[in-house]
Amino acid sequence: MRETRELFWNVGQGSVPLMYLLSLAAVAVMVQGFRRLFGAWRLGRPLDRFDRSRERISRFLSETMTQRRVLRVPDGGLLHSGLFWGFITMFVGTILVMFQADLLSPVFQVNMLSGLFYRIFSLVLDLAGITALLALAGLFVRRYFIRPDGLETTQEDGLVHALLLCILLTGFLIEGSRMAVTEVRDNPALALWSPAGLLASRLFASMGDEAVAGLHRGLWWLHLLLGLGFIALIPRTKLRHLFTTSGNSYFAPLEGQGELATIDLEDDTVDRFGATLASDLTWKDLFDTDACTACKRCQDRCPAWVTGKPLSPMKVIRQIGRSASESPSKSLIDAVTREALWACTTCGACQEICPADIEHVVKIVEMRRSLTLMEGEFAGEEVRKATSAIEVTGNPFGMAPASRGAWAEGLPVSVMADDSRVDLLYFAGCYASFDPRNRKVAESFVRICAAAGIRVGILGAEERCCGEPVRMMGNEYLYQMTARQNIAAIGKYGVTRIVTACPHCFTTLDRGWRNLGLEIPVEHHSTFIAGLVGRRQLKLAPEPFGFTWHDPCYLGRHNGIYTEPRSLLKAAGGKLSEMEASGPDSFCCGAGGGRILAEERTGRRINSERVRMARNSGAGTLVSGCPFCLSMFEDGMAAAGSGSGMKAFDLAEIVAARIGG
Amino acid sequence: MNILVCIKQVPDMEARFTPNATGTWFEESGLAFRMNDYDEFAVEEAVRLKERLGGEVEVTVLSIGPDRVVETIRKAMAMGCDHGVHVRDDVATDRDPWQIATMIAGYARSRGFGLIFTGMQSLDRGSAQVGVLVAELLGLSCATTVVGFSCDGATATVERELEGGTRAVVRLRLPALLTCQLGLNTPRYPTLPNILKARKRELLVLSPGEVGVEAPLAEASGFSRHERRSTCTVLEGEAGELAGMVVDLLKERTAVLRRGGGR
Repeated sequence: MRETRELFWNVGQGSVPLMYLLSLAAVAVMVQGFRRLFGAWRLGRPLDRFDRSRERISRFLSETMTQRRVLRVPDGGLLHSGLFWGFITMFVGTILVMFQADLLSPVFQVNMLSGLFYRIFSLVLDLAGITALLALAGLFVRRYFIRPDGLETTQEDGLVHALLLCILLTGFLIEGSRMAVTEVRDNPALALWSPAGLLASRLFASMGDEAVAGLHRGLWWLHLLLGLGFIALIPRTKLRHLFTTSGNSYFAPLEGQGELATIDLEDDTVDRFGATLASDLTWKDLFDTDACTACKRCQDRCPAWVTGKPLSPMKVIRQIGRSASESPSKSLIDAVTREALWACTTCGACQEICPADIEHVVKIVEMRRSLTLMEGEFAGEEVRKATSAIEVTGNPFGMAPASRGAWAEGLPVSVMADDSRVDLLYFAGCYASFDPRNRKVAESFVRICAAAGIRVGILGAEERCCGEPVRMMGNEYLYQMTARQNIAAIGKYGVTRIVTACPHCFTTLDRGWRNLGLEIPVEHHSTFIAGLVGRRQLKLAPEPFGFTWHDPCYLGRHNGIYTEPRSLLKAAGGKLSEMEASGPDSFCCGAGGGRILAEERTGRRINSERVRMARNSGAGTLVSGCPFCLSMFEDGMAAAGSGSGMKAFDLAEIVAARIGG
Repeated sequence: MNILVCIKQVPDMEARFTPNATGTWFEESGLAFRMNDYDEFAVEEAVRLKERLGGEVEVTVLSIGPDRVVETIRKAMAMGCDHGVHVRDDVATDRDPWQIATMIAGYARSRGFGLIFTGMQSLDRGSAQVGVLVAELLGLSCATTVVGFSCDGATATVERELEGGTRAVVRLRLPALLTCQLGLNTPRYPTLPNILKARKRELLVLSPGEVGVEAPLAEASGFSRHERRSTCTVLEGEAGELAGMVVDLLKERTAVLRRGGGR
């Protein structure tokens, strides 16, 4: 006997036209829904995310098919992947059936669904169905019984759960009823290849053939209608993420994360800056809101949310979506709230973990731009003071610009204005220039360079703040002003290489200033020193110490530098104990996004939280590579009292203390 | 009604000041300049009044000094002043308050300003004379150290800060000149569209000769750093005793325990 089955058994070929007609109607209803979403996305400003299509397509395929980003978090991710792979397999199976019924059978008179292929086909689809059913059950238990913190459940979730469950169950019942009166009797060996169907067929064992056939026909139509309902509901429920979340793996930026648009201040036609209304954002920003599945992974990792501040990246994204669709003419900022916007440290933990590739940070900065540039608002009086200080004196402390290079007096450093014959320009930044604790880092860096035979130059009084903190706070104007003054100063001296010990300066010079005309290569001191050691230009005298490495957000997540500082510190004799949140999952010190200028008034202190994690690592030394982090940790440790016994250092200090002969 | 605001660009006071070549004022190189704090209150109050009254009110901002002061005039315009006047004067820092006042009065005399706002004093020279001299030269009513202000178009009612934490309310007939003190308002941070608009506006540039400048009445003859002789006192004794000694020291040598604080 041939191992196959009759397609449209019991339903009759006569039903096929009606089935296709209904399917067409469902697809039409779906398209109609997407047209409405499309209209909402088109409210946004233009942005090119269709370039480099080959890279985009390959990322789209690898991210969706492997469920790579979803699986980053096993809780929920594993179950989701099970559901995904189950349904995608059944989808492919259904397409094969369509292919067989409408092309191979009528045109070529070939039956692909027979023999061994049919046996495997049956088994794989049954297993896919079982996988999907188990995953769905798991997700149901997770959402309704375990109820993870912060997971928001609405009626829509219940509807989608019920729909998927009914589709899967009716599928098995159709299979079982068909098999009860066919395969189970005629070819029990073949029936074994459909284990779920075989199990379901027992339900019908005691029924008469007529009754089973009638039930089968009813279930078949019900299953079809549920499936078509699913299609129609895609744009109208969270099911839209089938298209939007996967679509985002195509549209996501190809550059590093958190790249901000450089506002053209010379463009006379522009008189509105930042995002006051949802329509001031780009179409991609609005598309993002439909890609969000409210998985709340961003919220779980947001340093502001975790420490009790009114910012949840997820809620911001969803609010933008609501504002765009329900009240596009009302202030987006009032809806999101200023408190939430100012609380962001732009650490990027949200974007890093987002399975939907949503870009949270740029939206928050765009809204901050509206507050700062259009309203003249600040995160607090202290931020206003620091901003004015940067404007006038070029540093947030309001220190005299003439004394900016004073830290280097007596050190082997030349001020460019006096002697520009140097190997590299050290862009010291405000903290290394004025903050006593961070001056030690600058001194260490200079000592390392001297030991490696490298001549270091600084701009001294000509250097100004790189502009990063005010830029992140939304003040693009002041950022560009101070950046251009720096670029003009650097331009005078034929500099060939810039090194900085601050990841914020590094990112700003390397990426931001590029758009303002800086063409000189920029490096962070971690990779620079690692290079010196790697080339044996700098010899170390290792000395054992236990440490934990804090990945500064703007070194790790924003620039992908994770291994070099760790290897360097190990080469210096360090034994590494990782913190609970490290690498791409690192937890911010609290000072990013311009928050270094601001007081932390609500919730628990972010730096104390990070110091607690560092202490739990068991290491005696907390090493980082960022002046903001170092300041925050010194404060956090002081607040924790002397009992902690832990010390905070910059990697340059560790290396400088171990320079070998 | 038209309003005049007189502002001065001053160095950021965090700097370490050294005498200049003539030894009569400080050396300017390496200094960062900004708008005098008290003048920011003046600009803010003028712009607020304009916004309240609406319609025909126009605010003119005037500053005397070398080309660097244009930046500060632009800032005042970005805050909301309609017109900018730059009395270009490279030796402004050498002039005494009388000369500055005669220049301002020269400009303002025929222009019929209903109100003139100035800062109470400048952070660098600190004479607190220019405002009152201008009022006298123009025959205006005048109130100093203004921390509260309202105006009905014909009279201004102001609150003045006095010593010792007291305040006085004064009513003045317009035209009037007011010198503004800390506490009057919180100056706004200019918005970007206004900064960009202010950048493009034409300034009226005048020379000291054009506005009229009189001979000085006072002459600066020296400038030096005040070398503070701080001595260290070590107190010893019981905690209670020590507390009493600290209180006595604070009473004798500082103003912190006097009524009204120690500003």
